[in-house]
Amino acid sequence: MRYSDYLNQVNVRHRTVSYNLLTSKSKSKDKGSLTPPKIELSAKQAFDLLAPYCSSRIMEQVKAVVPLAAYLMIFQILVLRHPIEAALILCLGLIAVIIGLAVFMEGLSTGLMPFGTIIGDNLPKKASMPVVLCIIGILGVGVTFAEPAIGALQAFGSSVDVNAAPYLYEILNNWTMPLVLMVGGGVGIAAILGTIRFVRGWSLKPMIYGALFPVVLLTIYAWLDPNLKSILGLAWDCGAVTTGPVTVPLVLSLGIGIANAAGKGNSSLSGFGVVTMASLFPILAVLVLAIFVSLTISPGEIIAAAKMSAITIQTEPSIWEKTPLVEIVLGVRAILPLVLFLMAVLFLVLKSSLPNRMITIYGLVLSIIGMCIFNIGLTYGLGAIGSQTGSVLPAAFMELPISQFSPIYPELVGLAIVIGFAFLLGFGATLAEPALNALGITVQNLTNGAFKKEMLMYSVASGVAIGIALGISKLVLGFDLMMVLLPLYGVGVLLTIISSEEFVNVAWDSAGVTTGPVTVPLVLAMGLGLGNAVSAVEGFGILSLASICPIIAVLTMGVVIRIMNKSQDSSTEDEIVSDALVKDQS
Amino acid sequence: MSNRTITYLSNACMITCVVQNNLAETVLEAAKNSGAQGATINYARGTGVRERLGLLGVTIDEQKEVIRIIVSEDQADLIFEAMFLAGKLDTPGKGIMFMTKLDRVATYIPDAVLNSIE
Repeated sequence: MRYSDYLNQVNVRHRTVSYNLLTSKSKSKDKGSLTPPKIELSAKQAFDLLAPYCSSRIMEQVKAVVPLAAYLMIFQILVLRHPIEAALILCLGLIAVIIGLAVFMEGLSTGLMPFGTIIGDNLPKKASMPVVLCIIGILGVGVTFAEPAIGALQAFGSSVDVNAAPYLYEILNNWTMPLVLMVGGGVGIAAILGTIRFVRGWSLKPMIYGALFPVVLLTIYAWLDPNLKSILGLAWDCGAVTTGPVTVPLVLSLGIGIANAAGKGNSSLSGFGVVTMASLFPILAVLVLAIFVSLTISPGEIIAAAKMSAITIQTEPSIWEKTPLVEIVLGVRAILPLVLFLMAVLFLVLKSSLPNRMITIYGLVLSIIGMCIFNIGLTYGLGAIGSQTGSVLPAAFMELPISQFSPIYPELVGLAIVIGFAFLLGFGATLAEPALNALGITVQNLTNGAFKKEMLMYSVASGVAIGIALGISKLVLGFDLMMVLLPLYGVGVLLTIISSEEFVNVAWDSAGVTTGPVTVPLVLAMGLGLGNAVSAVEGFGILSLASICPIIAVLTMGVVIRIMNKSQDSSTEDEIVSDALVKDQS
Repeated sequence: MSNRTITYLSNACMITCVVQNNLAETVLEAAKNSGAQGATINYARGTGVRERLGLLGVTIDEQKEVIRIIVSEDQADLIFEAMFLAGKLDTPGKGIMFMTKLDRVATYIPDAVLNSIE
């Protein structure tokens, strides 16, 4: 290229400055003057830095929340022909969800995650194995409290009818603290077992069988008890709620650090399995709690107590129970114990200091603020739109007092529309989940490209979609959750037996990955709203079905791919042989 | 002597560009549009400005992407400039880039290409 051509293509000014002029000169022997000074920024420069930082984080959450909320709203207006009530508050609530999640996730990665990494790297060197396991167990409880979606469980407790499901009402209203503690304890045990698994290099299969056995046993016990039956949906849903954006990375970073220190961290699969355990043990814990409650109080007492409190509650809620404050208290209560515990471990056990104090504290403050804003958004945004759509949904096929057009469609068409709606909701929500994309890439690398990323994403998404559709039809048609759930788990176990270890790891983890902080509250609220509208006993169970279906989907894909690979392997061998023959001839 | 040959390419430069995580894609696109043939991308961890900025340091991702592109001397200035502009390196905190002259480069060069220049 000629220099004149080059000049024609260039439209910016150039100048050259010697770097020597910019670096500090050592005139005196003072070493301190050599370190570069702190950078002072003008407001404009600070804005240039802050604008992309904020917008990229908010856009990430907008992508997760807006399509789902828009889908629900458009469906409600166009198909169900029902106006959106309190649209302004709803939109403000959704904005609160977006901002809250963005702030919380940023706080998580700058504040909480460094703790996890430091503790995971250093703890095994300074403490004995039992101490390490103990700390991990307590951490499991802490992260469960900090999980954004767990607030959803507590928030929707009041919508349960005490007469139809006394124990469910009792646990959700008067035993919320023990409930979350038990779920946390389940996660803690799962984290301990997962870590031992990392270190010893155990296979996941026997652990799944071992964990499922007592779960199924207790489930059958509760199933046979007519009063306890209503708790099953909640118990199985708890497994899906726990494995969210706080638990998974924090527990994993600890576990992987410990496995590295023990010298067994080189397996490509060491990161998997904890999520599976963390979604099975809480089921067990909740069932144990329910059985404990059933032994202490009779249903009659609960109903009587509920009637009493219904009278007294109308006196006046204290200022702490009013809207902005109660969410803030919940938010602080969710994060603070975890932070205090992590700090205690860091300072007392490891005797080290914070890595980058100012940024870490900033991150911790962000995570608390984010949690509070998210809690407000949960009540007025996600929860409200979910329960609103859920309660209008049956208008498609049956007469509802709140909808003047109902029934809008003939019964069968309406049912098909509702189930199709649920299917699409699950499919879209899952594909949008960023964790699924990450899992897809891991799996693709793990299987050397045999299991394509898109293939995993679509099989998980269709699994979740089928699960949610099944869950909705369970509420609408009123069949028994366990009649579907237990056979599905049976199929899952059967497929686990014949699948290879890699696929078992991936498949069982994929269920936990798909249930993020946006999907869980939305689906829970929708289920409860729908349950109330069709006067089902309880609206839980959708999430549990949305957990097992992707497991089966991925396992099936794994088996299919292995069969295909086998036939392909033999054909590629043929090709190599024929290639060699061709070369010989030439 | 074996019948294998190595063709050395002279007049080659390497452009190295360090940007914040997830920004490499736009820079690469610009480089390819102005004639770069390929690129190597590494992940790296950076330090410096992040610490000196104080609290505003959180806006800068510690994770970096390092893009390395081998270009001919004729293309070098144009590609360098395109990458600089696409990566918006004239705004604070985006990244840094530099160009070095390479002594020799060797790779597979199709016979057809070699014949066409002779």
